[in-house]
Amino acid sequence: MKVEYVSPFAEAAVNVMEMLLNKTPERGKLSARPQIFTTQQINVVCGITGDIAGLVIYGMSMVTADRIASTMIGAPVVAFDGLAASAIAELGNMVSGNSLSLLSAQGFRCDITPPTIIRGTNVKITTLNIPALVIPLIVEEIGQIEINVSLAEKRELQAA
Amino acid sequence: MAKRILITDDALFMRVTLKNILTQNGYEVVGEASNGVESVALYKSLKPDLVTMDITMPEMDGIAALKEIKAHDPAANVVMCTAMGQKNMVVEAIQAGAKDFIVKPFQPDRVLEAVQKLLAA
Repeated sequence: MKVEYVSPFAEAAVNVMEMLLNKTPERGKLSARPQIFTTQQINVVCGITGDIAGLVIYGMSMVTADRIASTMIGAPVVAFDGLAASAIAELGNMVSGNSLSLLSAQGFRCDITPPTIIRGTNVKITTLNIPALVIPLIVEEIGQIEINVSLAEKRELQAA
Repeated sequence: MAKRILITDDALFMRVTLKNILTQNGYEVVGEASNGVESVALYKSLKPDLVTMDITMPEMDGIAALKEIKAHDPAANVVMCTAMGQKNMVVEAIQAGAKDFIVKPFQPDRVLEAVQKLLAA
């Protein structure tokens, strides 16, 4: 798991959130986890396939998810319904898609799978034995979004 | 008569957002598809003036759906509307006959500009 795969996700997340939320997120300190698992109430899971493959999980609290969805929809979210969940999933899709554009500039060709939402903490995802790097992003008046990046180059995966 | 548009996106949020932008500006949204298979079927039955097409979707992705729609109607106005903005993806879509390529997230004006340009006639 290389740090250079993570930077595009942090950069894309900042760009996408600036546009969607009209606020500039602040990057927190990068940390590592031995395995990928959900740590937040709301987690958007995006699969990455191609030259680099694995999973990226965008985790946040329910309060943060409500605030983001309200801003994206343009109306307050009273219950975290299908539309709110879809907005949060789409945020993950947009960040992942924009990250792949940055990765393609480095020569990596990848694709993404439609996002899935997992509700609840400590769900372990064991299909991939790749450690995760975590970047926290703090958005003023909205909360914290944790990006868990667990990716490896295809030839490393095949060798494993 | 209002120009008729078919929206294709697996995300309910995106379908609602696009529908609001288009209907508030005088277009009629005649159908909403949540994957490529639905989009191709609705294109054939509704014969819309324009289709917005996401790429990353379950069942059939937007590139495959674009190709099927263009095979059925070579004059179809298909505008890609996706988070996948890599150059190879844009080139593949344009070569397959897409008339424009909008990368998400977008400003409403970007969508209107693309639609107005294609449906001006």
